Amino acid sequence: MSAGLPEPLIFSEIINHSFGLHLPVHVYYMWLAMIILFSCGLMLKGRLQMVPGGMQNVFETIIGGLEDFTVKNIGEEGRRVFPFICSLFIFILVMNYIGLIPGCDAATANVNTNAAMALSVFLYYNYIGIKKWGFGYIKHFMGPMPALAPLMLVLETVSHLARPLSLTLRLFGNIRGEEIVLVLLFVLAPVLGTLPMYFLFLLGKTIQAFIFFMLTMIYLKGSLEHAH
Amino acid sequence: MMFFPKQGKPSGAMEMLSTAGTIGLQLVCSTFIGLAMGYFLDKWLGTSPWLLVIFLLLGITAGFRDVFLEARRIQRKDEEDQGGGGPGSGK
Repeated sequence: MSAGLPEPLIFSEIINHSFGLHLPVHVYYMWLAMIILFSCGLMLKGRLQMVPGGMQNVFETIIGGLEDFTVKNIGEEGRRVFPFICSLFIFILVMNYIGLIPGCDAATANVNTNAAMALSVFLYYNYIGIKKWGFGYIKHFMGPMPALAPLMLVLETVSHLARPLSLTLRLFGNIRGEEIVLVLLFVLAPVLGTLPMYFLFLLGKTIQAFIFFMLTMIYLKGSLEHAH
Repeated sequence: MMFFPKQGKPSGAMEMLSTAGTIGLQLVCSTFIGLAMGYFLDKWLGTSPWLLVIFLLLGITAGFRDVFLEARRIQRKDEEDQGGGGPGSGK
């Protein structure tokens, strides 16, 4: 839609048009992702079983696997921060996949969504670090040698500020690029051209969500572990 | 899910792919953050080109340091996997 590209069909515009609303496109798809996740959660909450079947099995596989991965990397403390990063992963994954549905757009293809998430990650890992280490958290920014501490303070500040920026731009660039390629291929050769790309982008979108998850985990690990 | 095999662990290939995918952008972002910090500090303090140059260099250094640290992390992980004969994670 933006960048002058023709979109085959955007459901949100139809909704906007018929109800006389002026909400941005990507907000709808974020709400859609939230609705999907909330209803999944509420549906599963009602009938949890000892022997999981169907959807409970899928969620247990994903969440259990990610929890093992987190605990292996961060240590036992990882269990405390795990809910945050896991919900981020699932949320991003669902938003990315919505972009693959014809007529829908990924909410992560808008830079504002990603900036909001990256900023919460930034605030969260600094909060966790300050909560654990108190004022000593500043040692994480000082580097190993006392003589170089002022220089390292500036360097670390720059690299810490670059983290949310790189998180935002990576997710935005990848997802937005994939959406543009899908639209272009749809214009060139409807259905036939886009179908093979779906497999590639399914992988690409999963990997992008996983990268966001993994980087958040690495940052949290950095703020939880002892300064060098 | 096809990317989460039997034990539910993310596969080694996927972990490697995502690690490799993160390195480049951090370098670029650090450079730009350094540039922006220098630019706005210059505007605030009125010391025209000097802080811009200094902070740009600092940003580039910070980016390279990040890449270096990331590479060392990958190397350490690799050694761990080979030494301990990790449970099917190194593919």
